[in-house]
Amino acid sequence: MIAVRNRAHPAVRAVLVGAYILCVEWARTLLATQPRMAIVSLMLGGVALGLVAAGLPADRLGLGTSRFGLRIIGGLALGAVLLLPAAARSGAVPILPAGLAAAAVAISVGEELAFRGALYAALEELGGAPLAIVGSTVLWTAAHALSHPPEFLGAVAAAGLLLALWRWACRDLVAPVIGHVIADLAL
Amino acid sequence: MLLATAVVTYVLAAWMVAPGFYDGFGPQQPYHWTCPPSAAGANTKPSSGHVDIKVIGGVSDANSAFTNDGQIVLGFLPGAFAVAPGQTTISVDIAPLPTCPQPPGIAFVTNVYHATANATLVKPANVVLLYSNLLPAPSAIYLAPDPNGPWTSLGANREAMPYTITTTTKSFGYFGAGYPVTSAASGAVRIGGGSQVLPIVVAVLIGLVLLAGIPLAAMRRRRARGEVEPEDEA
Repeated sequence: MIAVRNRAHPAVRAVLVGAYILCVEWARTLLATQPRMAIVSLMLGGVALGLVAAGLPADRLGLGTSRFGLRIIGGLALGAVLLLPAAARSGAVPILPAGLAAAAVAISVGEELAFRGALYAALEELGGAPLAIVGSTVLWTAAHALSHPPEFLGAVAAAGLLLALWRWACRDLVAPVIGHVIADLAL
Repeated sequence: MLLATAVVTYVLAAWMVAPGFYDGFGPQQPYHWTCPPSAAGANTKPSSGHVDIKVIGGVSDANSAFTNDGQIVLGFLPGAFAVAPGQTTISVDIAPLPTCPQPPGIAFVTNVYHATANATLVKPANVVLLYSNLLPAPSAIYLAPDPNGPWTSLGANREAMPYTITTTTKSFGYFGAGYPVTSAASGAVRIGGGSQVLPIVVAVLIGLVLLAGIPLAAMRRRRARGEVEPEDEA
């Protein structure tokens, strides 16, 4: 995958990265339906998604260290935005079983590296920021089609769009990673 | 401006569905409540279920009874029922209780279901209850012969799927999952704990989106125009 990504035409590269991410997401969703495989599927899925970003320069992924404090604050803020609808309605967010916490961190970091990291970079190289934002959001939504009821996909897409726009506006992936981890831990 | 629009769009979209939709951690479908908690979105009433189990050679077949929404499943082994002479089928019915019992010492986090059959159990039956991510995880399934009690804990198996709790029962009656109110809910990470402080903190942090995002975005634009030194990204 890394060799293909480095040598292939941008369009081929983007298609391969997107197809790989979709396959991993759907496979881990199907695996999670098997008895006692929920946590395993999330951990494996997180690692497999993270692998797609292996070898890419940190700056292409948006993982720079400049203004790191702002990136962390941005991540906390994105997490707060993602939790707002739940928190505002009940004064408390939904509850994730403690056993899923490590899996939540793994899958959320892996998804950010894959969608707003490697896929965003591949699409941006192919067609610029608009394609990167729209394309990563569409694939993000499609990737969750098997794991989420249809009525949830609008909110999933909106979350993906928000994270992709942050990635574009700030050229930063640190904040989406932090925000995604916070949201997954709470939700 | 685009970021602000995306924030508003997300909040509106997420407001229209029940919380808890990230990455498949939540149940595969929103819980159907008899008495929905305040955080639930649009609610669908829970459904009932029925199954006729064949009796072959005087032995009841293996089968499962479940409600149409799958929120409770009762699994029966072959020969699980005491079969009367001449009986060819055993009917099992499950119906959600239209009320929500609040017995002292127990906090239910699921609906209470009434399971009945026209034969008695002679082998333990598996009980599987789904629960929501909007309330603390239950620590046990409780059984009572009457909605007013007395409620008996059937415990819970350790290896249940996420958002399901399982145990076995030797009799029918009223089933519900919950936890003793004298102890904290089991296995849960709670953020906010119901405090009214959380919405305020959230509102303040939303403001930080702008405070954090504007300098980063401005820095990026200046760099694009070549007004600042390259970023120290490694």
